[in-house]
Amino acid sequence: MQSETARVTTARESSYRVQYPNSKRRDVKVVALDALSASLVDEVSREPWNGAKFFTSLSFSTDSAPGTTGEGLKAWLKDLAGAANDLVEEVASSDFVVVVTSAGEDARAVSLIADACALHNKSLVALVVPGPETTDAQISESMTHLRPFARMLVIASGADYISAMLTALRA
Amino acid sequence: MLKKEQNEYLTQTGPGTPMGELFRCYWMPALLSEELPEPDCAPVRVKLLGERLLAFRDSEGRLGLIDEFCAHRGVSLWFARNEECGLRCPYHGWKFDVNGQCVDVPSEPAESGYAKKVKLKAYPLIEKGGVLWTYMGPPEKQPPEPEFEFCTVPLNQTFSSKRIQESNWLQAMEGGIDSSHVSFLHRGDLANDPLFKGAAGNKYNLGDLSPVFEIAESDGGLLIGARRNAEDEQYYWRITPWVMPCYTGVPPRGDHPMHGHFWVPIDDESCWAWSYDYHPTRPLTDGEVAAMKDGKGIHVKYVPGTYRPLANKDNDYLMNREAQKAGRTFSGIEGIGMQDASLQESMGPICDRTKENLVGTDNGIIMARHRLMRAAKALVEKGVIPPGVNPEHHKVRQAALLLPRAANYTEGAKEALIAKKGVRQTSV
Ligand code: FES
Ligand SMILES: [Fe+2]
Repeated sequence: MQSETARVTTARESSYRVQYPNSKRRDVKVVALDALSASLVDEVSREPWNGAKFFTSLSFSTDSAPGTTGEGLKAWLKDLAGAANDLVEEVASSDFVVVVTSAGEDARAVSLIADACALHNKSLVALVVPGPETTDAQISESMTHLRPFARMLVIASGADYISAMLTALRA
Repeated sequence: MLKKEQNEYLTQTGPGTPMGELFRCYWMPALLSEELPEPDCAPVRVKLLGERLLAFRDSEGRLGLIDEFCAHRGVSLWFARNEECGLRCPYHGWKFDVNGQCVDVPSEPAESGYAKKVKLKAYPLIEKGGVLWTYMGPPEKQPPEPEFEFCTVPLNQTFSSKRIQESNWLQAMEGGIDSSHVSFLHRGDLANDPLFKGAAGNKYNLGDLSPVFEIAESDGGLLIGARRNAEDEQYYWRITPWVMPCYTGVPPRGDHPMHGHFWVPIDDESCWAWSYDYHPTRPLTDGEVAAMKDGKGIHVKYVPGTYRPLANKDNDYLMNREAQKAGRTFSGIEGIGMQDASLQESMGPICDRTKENLVGTDNGIIMARHRLMRAAKALVEKGVIPPGVNPEHHKVRQAALLLPRAANYTEGAKEALIAKKGVRQTSV
């Protein structure tokens, strides 16, 4: 006699899988950390998304320089319309956060975002995008900055990968 | 998730499909040498990329992989007589050589030259490292022979096995680059399996259950690094190479042989899971080979006389709820290979990726899919030769090592990731 497992793993049985949605909309925040990645993020943001929010820069008050944690954290994310949004609030209302940085650019601001993520237990995915002229040493430097903060650190090929990843994650 | 069209694009490898074209750029494992042990031995049916073929070794030891069916009236040549440098169809006696060329049509006078007009499709079949490899693409684009380290070391340093998996190739391959499942599914095996236990590095796996991942593209595919905390301001890194389209390497443990897989599509609903195990600098010990033959490590026990796992869907994979409850195995299934296979087959013949919910740590899988789609598109639209065809891309190694926290693994492990003749693997 055929086992239960053999019977239920046919193509025909696959067609009986329930078709109800199995997850809710995600709130994903995508933050560019420098001017080059801002233009990539801007490009990607034009595709249709399920609620992902895109930011092109991070600014912080001088008493909240990288290293500041907890209540003292005062930083703002600039959205595509140019408006400033409170970093901690944006992170708090997210499901996870993606930061994008160009290899060789200053990525130190990531520590503020990581602090906000730590405050609200959100995971952080970091993408490093090499430019056409980027050297291995520059990639390395960016990776070293990002490593302590990200659960997943990816060297991405460019805007096409950013959008492939966000699509895969239902952003 | 993938859109429905993308899922179909990646999972269909039959003739004329974009992924089928991509696979037809590479040498792929087709059979084990042991399946064609001697001249004039029994021919073997082979299905690859949705094509029914027949492999045989002729009287002079030449290897052939030809269309399975006789050109006369479509009889399977599996019934043929393998004699005097060719397969003779038992129905009306037509005979074919290793190139598929018909060499005899007994009903027609030899002088008529009729036989010359008939030729079955044939693919090259070469023997390397105990494996018979084929290339199913256009002859003018045939690449140089594969150079994966496991098939270039002396035969007493390498062991390969294969098992049939009743699922599409992609969900099987994705398991090979999905480093985050190891801490769960295979949890019980690190301490017990003879081909894993005792390595110094195992303690880091067991001590830090939430590894952090880094992914970088390599020339031939990807390098997937998983790091865990280690003493003295160091990280313990395990680096998995993926070479396009379907080769993966499992990071080593101690001085145990290094292993990994090839995931080769049979048709869209089944694939061959190949498992290799080799040591770069020493012969495998009798104990190691015995363990591999006994289905330990990544190998499996078989239904006698077949390459079908003994634990399979027909017997519920010998599910042991008691072992599951007691935590001896995490899933209740015995053996690393079958732990993977049972779950991957349970996804259904072709996994419906429109319903999945990936997370950030699944970026290895996301990037592999992205590279495959990009490469297939470039091949079909512009004729661009995909990554992983060049044998230089095969000379990559898996590695397990300790690095200072600030070090970048693609640099800190640069040498460790290159296969070098006579140089031991980098492993803790
Ligand atoms: S937890 Fe990953 S497939 Fe169920
Ligand atoms: Fe596994």
